[in-house]
Amino acid sequence: MSTMDRRTFLKTTGAGALGATALLSACGSDDGSAPGGPTSVRYAWWGNNIRQQNYTTALELFQEEHPDITIETEFAEYTAFQERMTTQMAARDVPDIFWIASAQVMTYEKNGLYRSLEGLDALDLSDFSDQDIEFFKLNGELNTMPHGSFVPVVRYNQTYLEEDGYELPGDADWTWENLADFLIDYNDNNPNGRRGLPYDADHDISFEAWLRQHGQQLWTEDGEMGFDAEALAGWFEWWERLRTAGAALSISEQDGIGPDWAEVGERVLVKFGSSNHIIDEAQVFPDSTFKLRPAPAIPDAAAGHKFIYYPRLAVYQGIDDAQAQAAASVVSFNINSVDFLKTVGLTMGAPPNPRLLQEAYEFASDDEQEMLAVVESETDAERSPRYEAPAGTSTWRTVMSRAAEEIALERSGIAEASEAMIAEIQAGIDQEK
Amino acid sequence: MARRIRHGAGVRDASAPASAASDPDDAASSGNPTAESSGTRAAASGSGRKFHLRRQGRAAHVFLLPWLLGFGLVTSVPLFASLYLAFTDYNVLSSPRFTGLSNFERMLSDDRFWAAVSVTARYVFISVPLQLGFALLLALILDRGLRGLAFYRGAFYLPSLLGSSVAVAILWREIFGHDGLVNDALAWFGIEGQSWLQNPSTALSTLMVLNVWTFGSPMVIFLAGLRQIPEDLYEAARVDGASKIRQFTHVTIPLLTPIIFFNLILQTIGSFQAFTQAHIISGGTGGPVDSTLFYTLYLYQQGFNSFNMGYASALAWVLMLAIAVVTAIHFFLSKYWVFYGDD
Repeated sequence: MSTMDRRTFLKTTGAGALGATALLSACGSDDGSAPGGPTSVRYAWWGNNIRQQNYTTALELFQEEHPDITIETEFAEYTAFQERMTTQMAARDVPDIFWIASAQVMTYEKNGLYRSLEGLDALDLSDFSDQDIEFFKLNGELNTMPHGSFVPVVRYNQTYLEEDGYELPGDADWTWENLADFLIDYNDNNPNGRRGLPYDADHDISFEAWLRQHGQQLWTEDGEMGFDAEALAGWFEWWERLRTAGAALSISEQDGIGPDWAEVGERVLVKFGSSNHIIDEAQVFPDSTFKLRPAPAIPDAAAGHKFIYYPRLAVYQGIDDAQAQAAASVVSFNINSVDFLKTVGLTMGAPPNPRLLQEAYEFASDDEQEMLAVVESETDAERSPRYEAPAGTSTWRTVMSRAAEEIALERSGIAEASEAMIAEIQAGIDQEK
Repeated sequence: MARRIRHGAGVRDASAPASAASDPDDAASSGNPTAESSGTRAAASGSGRKFHLRRQGRAAHVFLLPWLLGFGLVTSVPLFASLYLAFTDYNVLSSPRFTGLSNFERMLSDDRFWAAVSVTARYVFISVPLQLGFALLLALILDRGLRGLAFYRGAFYLPSLLGSSVAVAILWREIFGHDGLVNDALAWFGIEGQSWLQNPSTALSTLMVLNVWTFGSPMVIFLAGLRQIPEDLYEAARVDGASKIRQFTHVTIPLLTPIIFFNLILQTIGSFQAFTQAHIISGGTGGPVDSTLFYTLYLYQQGFNSFNMGYASALAWVLMLAIAVVTAIHFFLSKYWVFYGDD
């Protein structure tokens, strides 16, 4: 075996370090690329394996049409995506285009993570009305774009209803009170021993629907909590009535506050959720037909209580103009191209682009048509503005889950848990001020 | 065990220079005719050994260099950066702002911090002794000269590899879930079970069972320790009429105390840092109602979910100090119960 003296060793390691430096430099962002010339952008999103494959294919489609733009994809499962984003933000190495988790929208906005999309010629907004654009803005600025839309729904198993000889309350009687009465009756008397629904007292947008009907909001325009303990307690009381009557599964029966649909879907008639969930979750039980209803309403619900939740994507503020135009092209393709939509499917909800929404009916499956119809009906309804979760509230849903657990496990009263939840969320907001 | 190794190394280190320095003098004074040539050879041999040791030392440094660089750049820089961040308000997105001791003061009034401390303390002080006891029991059984020992050793070690994997979440749900094996077994006796993972009174216990189940690593170390106990000590004990239990309590345990101490230190430190199992099984929440909120899980939530990286850094340093204190107490107490052969 040959030996290596000190001089040779230093030369070798020096050359290695030089080579590594050159290599790392080559791997860096191509900030120096001329506007309009070849460039690359990083696109980051989350989901499951199927969504990863679909979006990768769709982004390849974009590159075929735009040979000067290369897309580097960064994909992860939802939780891992959040972790990676946090690390990338700390390192100032954020992807050029990234999806935004709902709880982080305003946190990122407050810290200047988004590049303004106004003035980017490559972003085609011609399909959107001025009112749509106003709904998309954050603090008066268009710096994110929705790439999907969904609404709170009650999903029910039509096959079970027919087998058990039941009918849901009609549209005119579609109230929280009537739904609870119906589910308790169904739970007690259906011939197949089926249960009413899983315990979903922590479902965020269903809760938001409840608040808006009661004239309150989840968040206010000035970044505060828009609801009080009384409204929150009313929500928990509705769920407690169902749980104590046995119509809702217990935490133990569903193995946790966030039930696994594959485990509980066969046992229950209805489930509260987001409209887009039908696409993946209906396929778990192919022998059943699932239908959607909008969230129930109180009889004298506040005007404009309907709302649409938009999952958003953004362009990172740290990229240069040439890359920003390239990123805008990608975003534009994402929100406007029917080929893109056909490739990625509708798992992120109905397309916010009204033209695409109509075109989607032509290739949508039965479940997807169900979803499109319910979103469209809400889109047409009167809607007052809704505001995203302010900075400091990124874990509010976890706090709500804990409060719901406390109540359902009877370790805390409704009033006490409601007060504690509000105090904890408010502390997070105060800390950010 | 550690002291044995230290003594051995000390003897080897001391012998070389001593022989090189004293041999010529000894030869001259002894009147041995071969002394001069012997001394010359010894001197030559001594300088050759020094040269050899120097070369070995250089080679060792070269081989250590990747680790030293890794430690210097990847470990120590973040380590000291986190020490600074512990005294700041840092949300990852904007620059840290120095806030003095406020993060440490905040812990005092943070209910979830104390919940995490309580959960972690119960986990460490209950599951580690149980795990070590179980590992020792299995090691004693395997030490009896079973056929297919290698197979059993591998089979029993397997859970240690699985203990922190995602597969465990599925396995544990299949065992301790509402429709799991435990409840199936209880149903045979007409007992209606519950979800052991979703009951705040039992959730932590299931994680302790998981920790005990991953007994492979300490078991292998115990097995190695048992193999080092001289057989003649047992023979002498038998001649003196000692029963099996007396042999165990008066021969096996005392001679195994350095191994027990070693395992105790490692498992205690590891249990203070337990994260993956709770993160996977509770879905990262530490639920139900914070009953599995391990300290590291809370630290992670603060850093990565709430963007309180300054507070998370302070939590990390408090954990490190707590582990250091507990380890120091273990070392202090070890002189009362750990028996080294040369004591």
